[in-house]
Amino acid sequence: MTHSGVIHDGDVRLWIYRHFVDTGRAPSPVEIATCFQLTPGSVEALLRRLQDEADGLLLLPGSHYIWMAEPFSAVPTSFLVRSGPRQWWGNCIWDALAILALVGVDGSISTACPNSGQPLQVSVTNGNLAAAPGIVHFAVPAREWWRDIGFT
Amino acid sequence: MLLFRSEDDIMEWCRQRHIAPGAVFDLERLWRLAARWYDDRLDHAWRRRSVPERQAILDEVGLTGPFWRLTRSSS
Repeated sequence: MTHSGVIHDGDVRLWIYRHFVDTGRAPSPVEIATCFQLTPGSVEALLRRLQDEADGLLLLPGSHYIWMAEPFSAVPTSFLVRSGPRQWWGNCIWDALAILALVGVDGSISTACPNSGQPLQVSVTNGNLAAAPGIVHFAVPAREWWRDIGFT
Repeated sequence: MLLFRSEDDIMEWCRQRHIAPGAVFDLERLWRLAARWYDDRLDHAWRRRSVPERQAILDEVGLTGPFWRLTRSSS
Protein backbone atom coordinates (compact mmCIF):
# COMPACT_ATOMS: atom_id res chain seq x y z
CA MET A 1 0.00 0.00 0.00
CA THR A 2 1.26 3.47 -0.80
CA HIS A 3 0.01 6.88 0.24
CA SER A 4 -0.14 9.92 -1.98
CA GLY A 5 -0.88 13.59 -1.44
CA VAL A 6 0.18 15.66 1.53
CA ILE A 7 1.86 13.53 4.19
CA HIS A 8 1.41 14.64 7.77
CA ASP A 9 3.68 13.41 10.54
CA GLY A 10 0.61 12.11 12.34
CA ASP A 11 -0.25 9.88 9.37
CA VAL A 12 3.17 8.24 9.54
CA ARG A 13 3.05 7.95 13.33
CA LEU A 14 -0.25 6.08 13.13
CA TRP A 15 0.98 3.90 10.26
CA ILE A 16 4.04 2.92 12.31
CA TYR A 17 1.79 1.89 15.20
CA ARG A 18 -0.51 -0.04 12.87
CA HIS A 19 2.53 -1.78 11.44
CA PHE A 20 3.56 -2.90 14.94
CA VAL A 21 0.02 -4.11 15.67
CA ASP A 22 -0.30 -6.04 12.41
CA THR A 23 3.20 -7.51 12.08
CA GLY A 24 4.79 -7.39 15.54
CA ARG A 25 7.75 -5.43 14.23
CA ALA A 26 8.76 -1.89 13.33
CA PRO A 27 8.81 -0.74 9.73
CA SER A 28 12.26 0.08 8.40
CA PRO A 29 13.03 3.57 7.06
CA VAL A 30 12.97 2.06 3.56
CA GLU A 31 9.50 0.62 4.13
CA ILE A 32 8.26 3.98 5.36
CA ALA A 33 9.79 5.73 2.36
CA THR A 34 8.19 3.24 -0.01
CA CYS A 35 4.76 3.43 1.60
CA PHE A 36 4.62 7.22 1.67
CA GLN A 37 6.68 7.83 -1.47
CA LEU A 38 9.28 9.83 0.42
CA THR A 39 13.01 10.19 -0.06
CA PRO A 40 15.35 8.54 2.46
CA GLY A 41 16.40 11.96 3.69
CA SER A 42 12.86 13.11 4.30
CA VAL A 43 12.05 9.89 6.17
CA GLU A 44 15.07 10.40 8.40
CA ALA A 45 13.99 13.97 9.15
CA LEU A 46 10.43 12.84 9.78
CA LEU A 47 11.54 10.11 12.19
CA ARG A 48 13.67 12.61 14.09
CA ARG A 49 10.66 14.91 14.40
CA LEU A 50 8.52 12.05 15.64
CA GLN A 51 11.19 11.19 18.17
CA ASP A 52 11.09 14.76 19.43
CA GLU A 53 7.33 15.19 19.32
CA ALA A 54 5.61 11.81 19.51
CA ASP A 55 5.73 10.63 23.08
CA GLY A 56 7.53 7.30 23.37
CA LEU A 57 8.71 6.89 19.79
CA LEU A 58 12.49 6.44 19.95
CA LEU A 59 15.18 5.59 17.42
CA LEU A 60 18.06 3.24 18.05
CA PRO A 61 20.96 5.48 19.12
CA GLY A 62 23.01 6.62 16.14
CA SER A 63 20.54 5.31 13.58
CA HIS A 64 17.23 6.02 11.89
CA TYR A 65 15.76 2.66 12.80
CA ILE A 66 12.88 2.61 15.28
CA TRP A 67 13.83 1.25 18.69
CA MET A 68 10.46 1.54 20.33
CA ALA A 69 7.04 3.03 19.80
CA GLU A 70 5.75 2.60 23.30
CA PRO A 71 4.37 0.18 24.30
CA PHE A 72 5.95 -1.78 21.42
CA SER A 73 9.63 -2.67 21.19
CA ALA A 74 11.30 -3.22 17.83
CA VAL A 75 13.97 -5.40 19.42
CA PRO A 76 13.52 -8.59 21.45
CA THR A 77 13.12 -8.02 25.19
CA SER A 78 12.37 -10.03 28.31
CA PHE A 79 8.63 -9.45 27.74
CA LEU A 80 7.19 -11.60 24.97
CA VAL A 81 3.49 -10.97 24.30
CA ARG A 82 1.47 -13.59 22.44
CA SER A 83 -2.10 -13.79 21.20
CA GLY A 84 -2.77 -16.87 19.12
CA PRO A 85 -0.21 -16.84 16.29
CA ARG A 86 0.58 -13.16 16.81
CA GLN A 87 3.43 -11.89 18.95
CA TRP A 88 5.00 -8.62 20.02
CA TRP A 89 7.79 -7.46 22.33
CA GLY A 90 7.03 -5.10 25.21
CA ASN A 91 9.61 -2.76 26.70
CA CYS A 92 8.66 -3.71 30.26
CA ILE A 93 5.84 -5.43 32.10
CA TRP A 94 3.77 -2.21 31.94
CA ASP A 95 4.16 -2.04 28.17
CA ALA A 96 3.56 -5.76 27.71
CA LEU A 97 0.20 -5.47 29.46
CA ALA A 98 -0.54 -2.32 27.47
CA ILE A 99 -0.03 -4.14 24.17
CA LEU A 100 -2.80 -6.63 24.95
CA ALA A 101 -5.06 -3.78 26.08
CA LEU A 102 -4.26 -1.57 23.09
CA VAL A 103 -4.65 -4.31 20.49
CA GLY A 104 -7.77 -5.46 22.32
CA VAL A 105 -6.97 -9.15 22.42
CA ASP A 106 -6.61 -11.89 24.98
CA GLY A 107 -3.19 -13.42 25.29
CA SER A 108 -0.20 -14.05 27.47
CA ILE A 109 3.05 -12.42 28.56
CA SER A 110 6.12 -14.54 29.15
CA THR A 111 8.85 -13.13 31.32
CA ALA A 112 11.03 -14.22 34.25
CA CYS A 113 11.82 -12.91 37.71
CA PRO A 114 15.02 -10.86 37.29
CA ASN A 115 16.35 -12.12 40.61
CA SER A 116 15.42 -15.79 40.77
CA GLY A 117 15.05 -16.47 37.07
CA GLN A 118 11.73 -18.19 37.70
CA PRO A 119 9.52 -18.04 34.61
CA LEU A 120 6.38 -15.96 35.09
CA GLN A 121 3.45 -16.10 32.74
CA VAL A 122 0.68 -13.52 32.85
CA SER A 123 -2.52 -14.12 30.93
CA VAL A 124 -5.50 -12.02 29.92
CA THR A 125 -8.83 -13.69 29.20
CA ASN A 126 -12.05 -11.91 28.21
CA GLY A 127 -10.29 -8.61 28.78
CA ASN A 128 -9.37 -9.38 32.37
CA LEU A 129 -6.24 -10.64 34.08
CA ALA A 130 -6.68 -14.40 34.42
CA ALA A 131 -3.24 -15.24 35.79
CA ALA A 132 -1.29 -12.58 37.61
CA PRO A 133 1.73 -14.07 39.35
CA GLY A 134 4.39 -12.00 41.01
CA ILE A 135 4.73 -8.41 42.05
CA VAL A 136 5.62 -5.28 40.09
CA HIS A 137 8.59 -3.10 40.98
CA PHE A 138 9.14 0.45 39.73
CA ALA A 139 12.74 1.37 40.48
CA VAL A 140 12.57 4.89 39.05
CA PRO A 141 10.37 7.71 40.41
CA ALA A 142 7.84 9.06 37.89
CA ARG A 143 9.58 12.41 37.42
CA GLU A 144 12.70 10.56 36.15
CA TRP A 145 11.05 8.01 33.85
CA TRP A 146 12.21 9.71 30.66
CA ARG A 147 15.74 10.56 31.79
CA ASP A 148 16.93 7.09 30.69
CA ILE A 149 13.94 5.35 29.18
CA GLY A 150 15.99 2.26 28.35
CA PHE A 151 16.67 1.67 32.05
CA THR A 152 13.19 2.72 33.15
CA MET B 1 9.34 -1.81 35.36
CA LEU B 2 9.95 -5.44 36.12
CA LEU B 3 7.90 -8.35 37.41
CA PHE B 4 9.37 -10.28 40.34
CA ARG B 5 8.38 -13.54 41.99
CA SER B 6 8.19 -11.96 45.46
CA GLU B 7 9.07 -8.91 47.53
CA ASP B 8 12.10 -10.82 48.85
CA ASP B 9 13.35 -11.09 45.26
CA ILE B 10 12.91 -7.33 44.82
CA MET B 11 14.90 -6.58 47.95
CA GLU B 12 17.70 -8.94 46.94
CA TRP B 13 17.82 -7.57 43.39
CA CYS B 14 18.04 -3.99 44.69
CA ARG B 15 20.66 -4.92 47.28
CA GLN B 16 22.91 -6.49 44.66
CA ARG B 17 22.69 -3.36 42.52
CA HIS B 18 23.07 -0.91 45.39
CA ILE B 19 19.83 0.83 44.50
CA ALA B 20 17.01 1.82 46.81
CA PRO B 21 13.79 -0.16 46.43
CA GLY B 22 11.18 1.83 44.52
CA ALA B 23 7.43 1.31 44.40
CA VAL B 24 5.78 -2.10 44.62
CA PHE B 25 2.26 -3.16 43.70
CA ASP B 26 0.24 -5.92 42.11
CA LEU B 27 -0.49 -6.65 38.47
CA GLU B 28 -4.17 -5.75 38.74
CA ARG B 29 -3.29 -2.12 39.31
CA LEU B 30 -0.69 -2.14 36.56
CA TRP B 31 -3.26 -3.65 34.18
CA ARG B 32 -5.59 -0.72 34.85
CA LEU B 33 -2.75 1.76 34.45
CA ALA B 34 -1.47 0.17 31.24
CA ALA B 35 -4.88 0.13 29.59
CA ARG B 36 -5.58 3.75 30.49
CA TRP B 37 -2.11 5.19 29.81
CA TYR B 38 -1.94 3.99 26.23
CA ASP B 39 -5.60 4.05 25.26
CA ASP B 40 -5.12 6.84 22.71
CA ARG B 41 -2.08 5.55 20.79
CA LEU B 42 -4.08 4.23 17.86
CA ASP B 43 -6.17 7.38 17.54
CA HIS B 44 -5.57 9.37 14.39
CA ALA B 45 -6.02 12.57 16.36
CA TRP B 46 -3.48 11.49 18.97
CA ARG B 47 -1.66 14.31 20.70
CA ARG B 48 0.93 14.28 23.42
CA ARG B 49 -0.75 14.37 26.82
CA SER B 50 0.12 17.21 29.12
CA VAL B 51 1.78 16.57 32.45
CA PRO B 52 -1.44 17.31 34.38
CA GLU B 53 -3.31 14.84 32.14
CA ARG B 54 -0.72 12.15 32.82
CA GLN B 55 -0.77 12.91 36.51
CA ALA B 56 -4.55 12.55 36.49
CA ILE B 57 -4.23 9.02 35.06
CA LEU B 58 -1.79 8.02 37.80
CA ASP B 59 -4.20 9.46 40.34
CA GLU B 60 -7.11 7.54 38.78
CA VAL B 61 -5.45 4.22 39.51
CA GLY B 62 -4.44 5.26 42.99
CA LEU B 63 -0.77 5.98 42.33
CA THR B 64 -0.37 9.03 44.51
CA GLY B 65 2.40 10.36 46.70
CA PRO B 66 5.85 11.79 46.00
CA PHE B 67 7.13 8.76 44.04
CA TRP B 68 4.38 9.25 41.46
CA ARG B 69 4.72 13.01 40.98
CA LEU B 70 5.77 13.74 37.39
CA THR B 71 7.39 17.03 38.34
CA ARG B 72 9.01 18.24 41.48
CA SER B 73 6.53 21.09 41.72
CA SER B 74 3.29 19.18 41.04
CA SER B 75 1.27 18.45 44.12
